[in-house]
Amino acid sequence: MSEIATASAGAVDPRLGPPIIEVRQAVKRFTVNGQPMTVFDGLSCSIEQGSFLSIVGPSGCGKSTLLKLISGLEPATDGEILFNGNRVDGPASGMIYVFQQYTKSIFPWRTVIENVAFGLQSHRKKLSAKEADDLCRHYVKLVGLEGYENFYPYQLSGGMQQRVVIARALICEPEVLLMDEPFSAVDALTRAILQELVLKIWQTIPVTILFVTHDVEEAVFLSNRIISLSKAPARINDDVSIDLAYPRDQIATRGQDHFHALSQRLFSSIFLQEKAGHADPQV
Amino acid sequence: MKKRWPGFLLILVLLAAWEGASAAHLIDSLTFPRVTVIFESWWRSLVTQGELTRQLMPSLGRIFMGFALAAIVGVPLGLLMGTISMVYRLLEPITEFIRPIPSSAYIPVAILFLGIGNEMKVFVVFLACMFPILLNTYGGVRGVDPVLIDTGRTFGLSRTRALWQIILPAALPSILTGMRISLGIALIVAVVAEMITGNSGIGYFILDMQRIFRVPEMFAGIFTLGLLGFLINFIFLRLEGYFLRWRGTSVET
Repeated sequence: MSEIATASAGAVDPRLGPPIIEVRQAVKRFTVNGQPMTVFDGLSCSIEQGSFLSIVGPSGCGKSTLLKLISGLEPATDGEILFNGNRVDGPASGMIYVFQQYTKSIFPWRTVIENVAFGLQSHRKKLSAKEADDLCRHYVKLVGLEGYENFYPYQLSGGMQQRVVIARALICEPEVLLMDEPFSAVDALTRAILQELVLKIWQTIPVTILFVTHDVEEAVFLSNRIISLSKAPARINDDVSIDLAYPRDQIATRGQDHFHALSQRLFSSIFLQEKAGHADPQV
Repeated sequence: MKKRWPGFLLILVLLAAWEGASAAHLIDSLTFPRVTVIFESWWRSLVTQGELTRQLMPSLGRIFMGFALAAIVGVPLGLLMGTISMVYRLLEPITEFIRPIPSSAYIPVAILFLGIGNEMKVFVVFLACMFPILLNTYGGVRGVDPVLIDTGRTFGLSRTRALWQIILPAALPSILTGMRISLGIALIVAVVAEMITGNSGIGYFILDMQRIFRVPEMFAGIFTLGLLGFLINFIFLRLEGYFLRWRGTSVET
């Protein structure tokens, strides 16, 4: 009895495993309009398996770039990224990137179920047609799109399109889901519902989520750990463990004093940097 | 369709005015025979005696043959130019040089190489159709959003599979636009080639009827071309609407 009671009360996170991703002395330089720009100059961090880690920071600090480096979609200038102990050089199987611009990432010529099936086709091939179809329907249902299987993306709202993109990623059973401001383009209520959906998924299936957002409260609500980056060249400004109990609730969790204290702490440090940045004539 | 009746009404009014003006000898009835006379000879040359039909068939054959060949060559070449920069650098200058030359200017050259038979006409139609298809395919491929390409990469798609599963469908609207432009050009070029070589086809028919002063038949040929162009475009738009049904915008027909 006592064990059950402890579980339902929700420890911080019982599932954290060994490090699944390690960023070691990552350097990233760009050339923007002929001007060299250093995004990272030796950034290191380690992410445990099963984490829900959010990356926050002032605009332009390289949050998305960090995610792109980890995913292997963009190469690091120097240093290395390890995924399960293997060096990442190119998009690694086992990691799926969920883009901020879901309208550009969804396949408009495929229906909902065909979009989801794309994820399956690209990863698992040993299923019969029936099994594949059942699995697609399962994931469509998981993201709450039952009944919309044969709709084309143009017939769906933005929030629904993002659900399709999430289902398409989840069906590959990725070890790591890299989400780049996935809810920044949907309205506030849809965002709240999608946040609950992602949390539910994270608690249901064994997946590590790396989540980039500019919304500190969103990060606190979702994550068990938040990394706050400084302005470029970015270093880790703050690394906060979010000890709010799971399952989290949009109303109850957000009503807690501790939620506000954490949000306040992260927000103030980011905001001060952002403000300092705006005084800079370069911005 | 329903909202277009004023336009069709205007056509009827103009035809009626033509009929009246010709009957009343307000316009030269030899150059502009009465519309009823034209329709009568149209019916005769198209159905009863079929001399127009006999000339229409070879024209249709070379239009579709030339167009199909252009699509078979133009689409893959455009895909290659859009995806492999080496191919682009190799072919872009020659494309830019040949493209502005009016297609009818190839005809004399084509006659030298291929004679005045069907091969020459198919070749000229092919060449004229090639460039709109090639350039629109290439443009469509270049216009594919980088996020879509990266989506393929994060799912571990090989380059070949990305070409089939992402680039081709994403470029399809542009490819189909190129094809539709080509079909219009095919009709023009086929008719010009037939007029120059003068041995078969609807272009030959129109010119021949003009020379022997069978003016109603000449107009019948011209009307047939108008109708043919309309029908080809109509059918193609329907096909386009089907293939691009995922865009959700109804195509104007």
